[in-house]
Amino acid sequence: MERPEDRVALIEWLDRDGHVQRSVDVAAWPLSLGRALDNTVVLDDPHVAAHHARVETDASGRLQLQALPSRNGVKLDGKPVTTTALLPAAGALLQLGTTRLRLRLRTEIRSEARAADATPAVPESLAPEKPLPDDTAGGLRAPLLAGLGVLLLALANQWVTLDPGADYTAWLPTLLGVPLALAVWCGFWALLSKLFQHRFDFAGHLRIALPWLLVMALVSTLWPQLAAALALPRMSQAGGLVNTLLTALLLHAHLRHTLPQHRRAVTTVVAAVVIAGIGLQSALTWRRHDSLVAMPYMSTLPMPALRLSGTVPSAELVQDMAPLAGQLAARVAQASKDEEEGVGEDEPGE
Amino acid sequence: MQHTGPRAPDRPWAKAFFATIFSTFLAALLWALFMGNGSAVLAATPGTATAAAAPGLAAPASTANSAATSAATSANTSATTSAPISGPTAALAIEPAAPTGVSQRIYERARPQLVQIRTLLKTQDSQSSVGSGFLVDDAGHLVTNYHVISQFALQPSRHRLVYATVDGRQGALQLLAFDVVHDLALLKPVDPAPLAGRGFVALRPAAEPLPRGARIFSLGNPLDVGFAVAEGSYNGPVERSFLETLFFGGSLSAGMSGGPALDEQGRLVGVNVAARRDGEQVSFLVPAAQVRTLIERGRGAEPINTPAWAEITRQLLAHEAVLTQRFISQPWRNAGHPRYAIPVPQEVFMRCWGRGSPQTARGLQFERSDCEMDSRIFITGALRTGFLTVRHEAYDGSKLGALRFAERYSASFRNELMGRDDRQRTAPRCVEAQVSSGALPLKAVICLRAYKKLEGLHDLAVLVATLDGTQQGVQGRLDAYGVSAASAQRLAQHYLDGFAWNAPKTASP
Repeated sequence: MERPEDRVALIEWLDRDGHVQRSVDVAAWPLSLGRALDNTVVLDDPHVAAHHARVETDASGRLQLQALPSRNGVKLDGKPVTTTALLPAAGALLQLGTTRLRLRLRTEIRSEARAADATPAVPESLAPEKPLPDDTAGGLRAPLLAGLGVLLLALANQWVTLDPGADYTAWLPTLLGVPLALAVWCGFWALLSKLFQHRFDFAGHLRIALPWLLVMALVSTLWPQLAAALALPRMSQAGGLVNTLLTALLLHAHLRHTLPQHRRAVTTVVAAVVIAGIGLQSALTWRRHDSLVAMPYMSTLPMPALRLSGTVPSAELVQDMAPLAGQLAARVAQASKDEEEGVGEDEPGE
Repeated sequence: MQHTGPRAPDRPWAKAFFATIFSTFLAALLWALFMGNGSAVLAATPGTATAAAAPGLAAPASTANSAATSAATSANTSATTSAPISGPTAALAIEPAAPTGVSQRIYERARPQLVQIRTLLKTQDSQSSVGSGFLVDDAGHLVTNYHVISQFALQPSRHRLVYATVDGRQGALQLLAFDVVHDLALLKPVDPAPLAGRGFVALRPAAEPLPRGARIFSLGNPLDVGFAVAEGSYNGPVERSFLETLFFGGSLSAGMSGGPALDEQGRLVGVNVAARRDGEQVSFLVPAAQVRTLIERGRGAEPINTPAWAEITRQLLAHEAVLTQRFISQPWRNAGHPRYAIPVPQEVFMRCWGRGSPQTARGLQFERSDCEMDSRIFITGALRTGFLTVRHEAYDGSKLGALRFAERYSASFRNELMGRDDRQRTAPRCVEAQVSSGALPLKAVICLRAYKKLEGLHDLAVLVATLDGTQQGVQGRLDAYGVSAASAQRLAQHYLDGFAWNAPKTASP
């Protein structure tokens, strides 16, 4: 438009992701919308009526949307409009058929703006300028350090499991596998980002994955040792749960990064999946092992230098086992009760 | 324990990491594979697998041939003989081929007293187990193995017992008494008439011990092929056996279980019970003395018509009390370890096997000792109990260094099965602590499982690891199958007390 001051509104076509496809200027009211060629704005959408809606000023000069007879109707900011509705001063989202339009209105009062000597009035509703997404923000140094930590921990773990003098090829799975797996992992998430945000954000996901992986590696290496050193079987049993939660948090961080518009939904879904997964797993373990953990005892043995807790006389442990028989008898009673109830179903089949 | 050489690197976080990638990328593929496997498994479970999976007791099979094969494949170290299969009593064909004059005479004399014992499914009249038996008195009492009639004893509402004589007479049987520990059962015909006047197998008096090497003759109906006599030698009692068992140097096959083994005068020496399949002509008999006890106890008894779990439990509790008492009264042997006193049982009724890692190994060095009892009590085809095992592994990680040793030492401690909830037993309940035994710091885990049908009996597992060494250690395990809770406590304490420092030899010189 040659004279921007004549522009009273701007209509923008939005695609599914909310990006603007094209826009037209509006110089004057009223404005008619529809598929027919005599409309001010022609919408090329088979789900739009020939004359679908009008935007006009009412008696008191306010802008209002008028829905004309149509099969699919008009939605103003998500709400159906049956006859007329006032337009918000800042503008609105309109949906006609499958077409999504954003109507941006000039909000400053024209007479005052003219009087104020061309000092360009900034409409209050306009969001402040956003900084560009900076791919090097925060630097890559911290993630790279984390990555180095992950690799070193993996190699240390590998060193411990190898016998002295092992062939150097034994290192290859870790040396190549960890970076490769990381690349596949981040590549997968970057593809998802590409799908939802149209950018292959490999570095962003790498920045998320590395610190979390370092935390997970540290926890899974140190947790059992700590539990053994303190002689806390409960802590050892909780190790699996901690690992699960850390994995869930990692997934959560990736998903939030992939779907930034749906953060609350992502959190809810991840939390629900984690709770359901843990619940199901616990139920299955309980069924097989009569306990919430499959391993019936703490299997990590403390190294002599790290053995912080003392010993008890063996007779004390033998005393501790006294209640076990009673607990087991209750289990047996429960099992035979279950069997009696199940007899009717089992017998013909066997 | 059970060190198994190099293992895959154990990094849970890495596993989770890979697993997540896999599950995300390949979920559909895995699912498809899983579905494929599922259907394959279902398709590949016809009758032959079932036959092979049920050692000792018969499985419904088609021909005597396949039954023989299944018995041979399924039999392991102490598989009991007893078994299969259909076919009429085609016994007479064997007579002309008698190997010696004595054997011919023995068979002729015992023929009328010999029967086949069949356990039939009540609803189908098809046999689910077949063994042998013999008359022990004029009143028609018959003796066989408990394991021949165990299905009837445990589920009398679904089975019935039938005898078939050599000359083709058949009739129904009642179960009067059994001795589950010695694997014997006493039966009586419902109608004594067809078995009357046939005489009986006399017991060889206890006062006349049989010399080693004497010829004895085992009779029965092997694999349901037909009645047969198998000649062999008497080799005295089995050594290092908790329950007195006779070693018969002859062949016993499935189906001969419960048949009599007779001396040259035709008197009972023992009852056929089991054979080793990893050797040749190594078979076992229950001594006649146990038969005598059972007859005296069960002669006037009422027939058993309800599941016999309670009686089995009673007999097993009596057995385990004696076993526990005898075991605890023995002092531990020294394993000869320079640093630790490790409890190793006396080889009075246990047998120990040792094994070490190859000297050239670069990794963890170990020496292993496995002590087991031969005597195991048959309850069902899937359950044997009433025995102990003790084992340990001594580790030397001086070629590894402290960190690597610690990893392997823990992995070995993790590599122990405690069992889970199944048909016979509950899941284990465990207690654990760092204990001291003779000032030696130990990690000890005690787990108990209860039998679901044998109320009051448990499986005990005591797992012990020494904690003082940075590059050496010992892990030991005691298992007691079928013991009371009180015995379990005594055994656990006894085992823990077996660990100590060895007398410090370095201090004295």
